[in-house]
Amino acid sequence: MSYRIPIGPYHLALEEPYKIELDCQGERVTGATLKVGFNFRGIEWLAERKNITKAIALMERVCGICSNVHSMTFCMALEQIGGVEVPPRAQYVRVVVAELERLHSHLLWAGIAAELIGFQTLFMQIFRLRECVMDALESISGNRVNYSMNRIGGVNRDIEHPEAVRKAVNQVQDAVSRTLIPLFTTDQTVAARCRGVGRFSLAEAIAYGAVGPVARASGLDTDMRRDHPYLAYNALEFAVPTRPEGDVLARIVVRALEILESCRIIDQTLERLPAGPLHAGDIYLVPPGEAVARIEGPRGEVFYYVRSDGSDTPTRVKVRTPSFANIPTVTAMVRGSDLADVPLIQGALDPCYSCTDR
Amino acid sequence: MSAAEIREQIGGSWEERGDGWWLPLPPEQIRAAARTMLAGEARFVAQVASPGSQGEFSLSWHWDLKGTLLSVTTTLAAGRPAPSIVDIYVGADWAERETRDYYAVTFEGRDATPTLMLRAEDAPGMMLPSEAGRP
Repeated sequence: MSYRIPIGPYHLALEEPYKIELDCQGERVTGATLKVGFNFRGIEWLAERKNITKAIALMERVCGICSNVHSMTFCMALEQIGGVEVPPRAQYVRVVVAELERLHSHLLWAGIAAELIGFQTLFMQIFRLRECVMDALESISGNRVNYSMNRIGGVNRDIEHPEAVRKAVNQVQDAVSRTLIPLFTTDQTVAARCRGVGRFSLAEAIAYGAVGPVARASGLDTDMRRDHPYLAYNALEFAVPTRPEGDVLARIVVRALEILESCRIIDQTLERLPAGPLHAGDIYLVPPGEAVARIEGPRGEVFYYVRSDGSDTPTRVKVRTPSFANIPTVTAMVRGSDLADVPLIQGALDPCYSCTDR
Repeated sequence: MSAAEIREQIGGSWEERGDGWWLPLPPEQIRAAARTMLAGEARFVAQVASPGSQGEFSLSWHWDLKGTLLSVTTTLAAGRPAPSIVDIYVGADWAERETRDYYAVTFEGRDATPTLMLRAEDAPGMMLPSEAGRP
């Protein structure tokens, strides 16, 4: 018997609203339709009506988890238009905050994934670790979510206690390598629940334009930090984990390994933190021009297009968030899967509807 | 295929900028360019629409190949439809629907372009210059 199940816009597991309609044949999913836009705030529209300084603060509200990457990418596009050189120390500080944010995002996701799998103890362990990262971000910026670190040409604050940040990161690195990774890679319950579920091939990843850990778990070896280096990433050593399987387990493993790589990056960055200014001066205008800036956010590539006419208000701001690229892939992942696997498949995407809707 | 081979196969005068390679093309050549991108395993990144001062639209499609941004731009006269590439890159579906939501651009070559961010009953074009006074 075939039937359609509407799920959402309000969900038990996810805090954010969206709707998925599943076409089923018995317990087998044959197709899916998505509806987003419940969080639509018209941020691009708003950004084109605010001066650049206000727009930087606005961009930090695109996402409540990866808030820093949005103000940073927006600033990077403006810096490119204006030919503004960011001082080396500011570049390193930006790397530290961006990688701490990746740790925060990946740990948050890993905790939710543990809960979705039914592993409550692990969920609590991971969220305890996440607190270390939140504390480190708070010690740098004074804030736990919207850090207000970025300005055109640099950063607003320095890292005053690098050793405290290193200590927190080492704690995460130790716990993740001793507990999380062995568990995600060898535990039979995790493997039984996740292996072969929600398959997504390399060809599909290219056609759908998947990004970040979702793409890398399907064998698409892409990472903007390595492929199109920005800030100080050129000077840092790190690996880009990929898996060929394209299933939920591969997405879990890729993110878990990325946590370790972020710890490595932060450790190196803090060790090599150069002396010097934090910004290139007070900049409130950029000359006429247009630029694309792309960075590797926690969920994948963040794309900003900014056009300026030389006034203090941008004439066009386009934001393509990683979740905007990744969420449509769920229609391919759930096709042919069991109905009971759909929440796990959706969760393994690490979707952010706030980012998507903007 | 490398990014250089893709550029060569598509032809035209590519311009190298700080953010990648850019090529202006007439609208009727966009779909052929998209097919070449797919053959070269370039990943679809984004579509950007920007209104001009005379009612025309500038549309750009962006692809990535191993970190190299390949951008193809076109200009649409007022009221002219844009070519859809959804049958080539399924990932362009949401991008085209959002462009319609924001600027009321219509896409030729797809059955329908449903709203994405707006409600089904909302009129498209919320970011058109004519809507500038809207609260």
